[in-house]
Amino acid sequence: MKSNSTFSHGAFHPRCTGVSRRTFLADVGMGFTGLALGAMLSRDGVVRADTTQAAQAGQLPTGLPHFAPKAKNVIWLFMVGGTSHVESFDPKPALSQYAGKTIAESPYRDVLESPFLKKNLREFVAGNHKVQPTIFPMQVGYRPRGQCGIEISDWWPHVGGMVDDIAVVRSMWTTDNDHGAQLQFHTGRHALEGQFPTIGSWIHYGLGSLNDDLPQFVVLGTPIADCCGGAGAHGSNYLGPEHQGVQLAVDPKNPLPYALPPRDVSWDEARDKLALVNQLNGLAAIEYPDDAALRARIKSYELAFRMQTAVPEVLNFGDKTASTQSLYGLDRDVTRPFGQQCLAARRLVERGVRFVQLFHGSNGGAGAWDAHGGLKAGHTALCEQVDRPIAALLSDLKRRGMLDETLVVWGSEFGRTPGAQGADGRDHHPYGFSIWLAGAGIRGGVVHGATDELGFHAAENRHYVTDLHATVLDRLGLDPRQLEVPGRKRLEVDFGRPIREVTS
Amino acid sequence: MPSVSRSANRFALFGPLLVVGWTAAALADEAPTAGPAAPTAAVDYATEIKPLLAARCVACHGPLRQQQGLRLDSAAAIRRGGESGPAIEPHKPRESLLIRAVTGADGWRMPPEGEPLSADEISRLARWIDAGAPAPHEESTATDPSQHWAFRPPVRPDLSEGSTTSPGRSAVNPIDAFVDATLRQQGLEPYPPASRERLLRRVYLDLIGLPPTRDELLAFLADESPDAYEQVVDRLLADPRHGERWARHFMDIWRYSDWYGYGAELRNSQPHLWRWRDWIVESLNADRGYDRMLIEMLAGDEVAPTDLNVVRATGYLARNWYKFNRNTWLQDTIEHTGKAFLGLTFNCARCHDHKYDPISQENYYQLRAYFEPHEVRVDVAGGQLDTKVDGVARVYDAYADRPTHVFARGDEKEPDNSRVLAPALPSVVAPESIAITAVPLPGAAWYPALASAHGGALLVKAQTERDAVATQLQQRRAELARLQIEIEQQAARLELLDELTEPALDSPTELDRLRLKNARSLVTAVQAALEVDEKQLAVADANLVSLTARLAADQGRYLDPPAANIEDLMRGAANAERAHAVAAAELQRHIAQREHDRLAAKPLADEATKKSLAEAAAKLADADKALEAARAALASTGVNYSSVGSTYPRESTGRRLALARWIADRRNPLTARVLVNHVWLRHFGRPLVSTVFDFGMNGKPPTHPELLDWLAVELMEQGWSIKSLHRMIVLSVAYRRDSAADSLASNLQIDPDNRYLWRANTRRMEAEVVRDSLLYLAGSLELNAGGPEIDQKTADTTSRRSLYYRHANEKRVTFLELFDQAGVGEGYQRTESVVPQQALALLNSEFAHREARLLADRLGAVAAADQRRFIGLAFETVLGRAATDAELATCLEFLTRHFGARSQDVAAAESESDGVGGASAVAAPQTATPENSAGANSPSPDVARARASLVHALFNHNDFLAIR
Repeated sequence: MKSNSTFSHGAFHPRCTGVSRRTFLADVGMGFTGLALGAMLSRDGVVRADTTQAAQAGQLPTGLPHFAPKAKNVIWLFMVGGTSHVESFDPKPALSQYAGKTIAESPYRDVLESPFLKKNLREFVAGNHKVQPTIFPMQVGYRPRGQCGIEISDWWPHVGGMVDDIAVVRSMWTTDNDHGAQLQFHTGRHALEGQFPTIGSWIHYGLGSLNDDLPQFVVLGTPIADCCGGAGAHGSNYLGPEHQGVQLAVDPKNPLPYALPPRDVSWDEARDKLALVNQLNGLAAIEYPDDAALRARIKSYELAFRMQTAVPEVLNFGDKTASTQSLYGLDRDVTRPFGQQCLAARRLVERGVRFVQLFHGSNGGAGAWDAHGGLKAGHTALCEQVDRPIAALLSDLKRRGMLDETLVVWGSEFGRTPGAQGADGRDHHPYGFSIWLAGAGIRGGVVHGATDELGFHAAENRHYVTDLHATVLDRLGLDPRQLEVPGRKRLEVDFGRPIREVTS
Repeated sequence: MPSVSRSANRFALFGPLLVVGWTAAALADEAPTAGPAAPTAAVDYATEIKPLLAARCVACHGPLRQQQGLRLDSAAAIRRGGESGPAIEPHKPRESLLIRAVTGADGWRMPPEGEPLSADEISRLARWIDAGAPAPHEESTATDPSQHWAFRPPVRPDLSEGSTTSPGRSAVNPIDAFVDATLRQQGLEPYPPASRERLLRRVYLDLIGLPPTRDELLAFLADESPDAYEQVVDRLLADPRHGERWARHFMDIWRYSDWYGYGAELRNSQPHLWRWRDWIVESLNADRGYDRMLIEMLAGDEVAPTDLNVVRATGYLARNWYKFNRNTWLQDTIEHTGKAFLGLTFNCARCHDHKYDPISQENYYQLRAYFEPHEVRVDVAGGQLDTKVDGVARVYDAYADRPTHVFARGDEKEPDNSRVLAPALPSVVAPESIAITAVPLPGAAWYPALASAHGGALLVKAQTERDAVATQLQQRRAELARLQIEIEQQAARLELLDELTEPALDSPTELDRLRLKNARSLVTAVQAALEVDEKQLAVADANLVSLTARLAADQGRYLDPPAANIEDLMRGAANAERAHAVAAAELQRHIAQREHDRLAAKPLADEATKKSLAEAAAKLADADKALEAARAALASTGVNYSSVGSTYPRESTGRRLALARWIADRRNPLTARVLVNHVWLRHFGRPLVSTVFDFGMNGKPPTHPELLDWLAVELMEQGWSIKSLHRMIVLSVAYRRDSAADSLASNLQIDPDNRYLWRANTRRMEAEVVRDSLLYLAGSLELNAGGPEIDQKTADTTSRRSLYYRHANEKRVTFLELFDQAGVGEGYQRTESVVPQQALALLNSEFAHREARLLADRLGAVAAADQRRFIGLAFETVLGRAATDAELATCLEFLTRHFGARSQDVAAAESESDGVGGASAVAAPQTATPENSAGANSPSPDVARARASLVHALFNHNDFLAIR
């Protein structure tokens, strides 16, 4: 039975012509078009592979997944500056064993001969980040955690407590040894190649909305700085501005630009005025029954008005129970900021927001995690800020039954060097580093891939950052090759390959 | 069985890729008729083989290139094969070269780049060959690139029938001849002309980016002369606001960006790029030919080396400056020069030969070679010597000898140093080679201090410094004189008192004597400072003389031809410089002497003071020596002096000028078409060629090829006048058509996208037009043109036209961003999104509220207490049309209901006698009663607020944002 034909070819016959994809989506709700039906079905997970000709011909996406999705939403946690992999999710006893010796003096000198050192590196400024020769010992202990017994460092006790739900990938690599890697982590392209659509924007472009009151792609926390990609890291580039992340501040009073009317305008006054706008546009709609943009504008005003209440509502935790407050660490100064963002992220995906991108550690420059010196003190403090909130997010999603369809991704633009920088730091390290995933059918308690004994090179099951993108898209039922925009040739490397070993 | 074992060996040879997919039957039996083939073996050439080959093989084995003489773009060509023989042996997959190549059976594998073919793909090929490689007889093959429409120079096509001038009526616009012919061909019925008010608003917004005022609207509606519209068009094209409107379009295409970086650190683009923006505005207003504009942007420094008004146009290239990587910088330059001017995606050929167009990787680097020598600098301008504060960012050739190499796979770490590429264009763009002539530069170009802007500023600065010293000296002298008079008087008084024998009431005290003493020592100090000032003035004078003389000498030396008395000038400069050195040394010696004397006068109590004195003595000795040397040098008659400024190469390679001249050459097949398409897009909301930056073989063909060519030829014959192109377009019937009328079902059936222009497209105002129009209607827009970019954060509180605000990565006007303003990376075609953030911006911004209040006040002053008149005025002003009955009723009801502001139903008949007609003359709806009308001549605060709300609602009306 070709059940999908009901909404692919039947009631819904998209005349995508001349109407932007967004225009089209905003049309949802005017009547029960197939897209609305499709979106509702995907809300319930009742979606089958969509292989319409339009999709195959590379035309505008229908808003439906290409195949049965495992996830409806994504929460993407990004640590700005480069979290040390060897002090977080990838223990390397050899570092302590050979501490003080140079890599060349250690038994693992062959890492310096690896072709990856040159082959995969594309420097922003040549020679700025050479290999740090002197091995720096691990600055923190590790212990086995969870049922699975995966070793996680003592800076991540709470996340460690959730490790049975997490798949750690220890074999990521990227090509930029400077903080342009932050942009690269989101676009898959080296910063020198310019800006490209980001993972969140592809999802926004590819999938229909799951909510009627909120933007689909939300950014929380301070985005990365100009130095390293800026708004490009949640941008949409050639997909068009409607697909870029909408930055929300966890501030119910002023969550986004123009969120609320000026102070001297009462709520009633604003509502009455909106009613007049709607009435007048409604009259125009009688005049121009075929004007899709006009219909979209009417819908956009309705959504805008709902956003005026929905956005502050979702960001207002005043009425949350004390247990939730303390779960996320909202009762402590150190964890409150990121805890609020994690809680907001949960509330956003609960309401159907597709992609929530959280930034931690943005400081107007390279990022707080950029531990060129004082790594121990710095990482201790930073991990404390995020460890409990992230664990709370996972357990909260789990207890609400949402983890099954919410993919949580944790990452940072690169790891840090096995060698010491100065007395007590590590430099940028693109050759091998860790990320982890949880939820949405990701196998828990699993380690995939490995670096060598020094944590230098990704040695087994190497994955470039777009493999992570591919994994995320795969969970959502999207095939990146079907999202390619005519005239915008994508490279093979852009598509990546899903990390099948961590999916079920 | 031998055959089986042979097969098994072959199987091994093919490697593991074949394990999957390839049916056993195909492997086991080489016989042509291998029994009943499994149903899965049926492979359709057209849908399964040809697309695969096209995707993976045809770029090198097809119309563009025939590696090894082989083409794989048709079954016939596949059978024919190349230098190594046929690509396939029907029914014998294992023997077929094609299969051996894609499996790597012979130790090499095709395709050489990218992933190997998958097992499934190989199996498909094998099964197809196994089945005898069936293919349709009539197979279309790809076009020969030289025949591609965009690579053939446009030729003015014949106008279709009925299009020429006929007696008694004006000529049919050629645009309509072509458009109408297509409509007839397609069986489409065109819409009638748009109403006059709709047309007027459309053409205003298109040509000047601002709506007509109500007065302009009424005047136009009242103008019954047959050329009323034409007059409006000519007026708008002559309006300086036209240049501002269209400059923003070209700023999109040419990627205008103010400088940006990390904090205050410059990383991208250049400061003062607004001078290029102003050049765009001015060029468009002056209707400078597009060919000339291209030449000035690419090579203004070569075509008019000393004219900064021209050279500023090279901001187009300076914009690509990038701190960290020269290759990134040149990549951007190449990519966007290709896309913006030629509609070609050269960028695709950076790592490998272009997959669709006849642009080899070598061609890419040959294009790069035109730009290889160029560099960016900031010249002095605006009387400001500090180029951080002001200046002209421009390019010049700094590296004439820098070689261009191919980067293997585009990797800058792997240049092919064995070959140096000379500048050249692919033959498809330029069939003949382009001569390059080096451009010798006049002195003021390679030695910018000679430019009056720079040298003059230097002199002004020296003079100002000298005057400051002189003023100080004068003040000091006056002070000294005053002190001396005071001392004299005081001393005289003391003397007089001393002489008195009788003690007087005011006999001098010790304190008085002390004061006198202090005053005397103060005189000493002032005198000392004055001596320094005098020396300083001498230095400043000498500096001015020296600078003047050196500038004169520089001028004499470097201007072409050199001055006849150059020797004298140089000697004069050298002498003046030496005199200045003496003056400076005297000043230093004087200061050293004073310091020494001051310390020497102290009691030498401690070691520290002794040490200081010794140091001062040493300094004095040094200063003596320096002065001696400077004085000795005076005796010299040498002519060597220090030039005033820094110098640059005296010659420019002429490469960019050659490139620019070819791009702007009438024989170039692409340039005029690409421009026409961009202009057309911005009038019709849809281009003739939908791939606006790709006119290559992977681009889309034009909807109206003859029209495009006709306009391209016309453009060139009109001296590349863009204004003429605008004029022709907006005067066409096609442009003037209505956008909405009674739905023509048959049209929708045939051409739902309106590709053939049976009606006008409804468009949305661009971001800048939204903001500018709001300000303009409320009377707030400041219309002064040009100048440095304005802080983007002030856009909600200031009222300049939007193109003047800072536009850089991360530094853009939020309001404009929300309405799809082009980013700085690329802006060939904007999107027209409809998102709730736009609604929030228009509903909630202080800016929209403020402008609504201003406009409501303005209209309120006219309408007085008459609500219906107010509503009529508001519609006509904001939407450029009358309110309908229903709208009027709705708005009256709104004013009445929400704020108790009862309508002043002043005699219905008299209202709106000067209106746009229609609705406003009908009787007021029942909600608006004449009671409570007393004293309503000046609207109450409630009424004013309600009216502001109404105007604000109209700003949010879709018909405000829509260009119908």
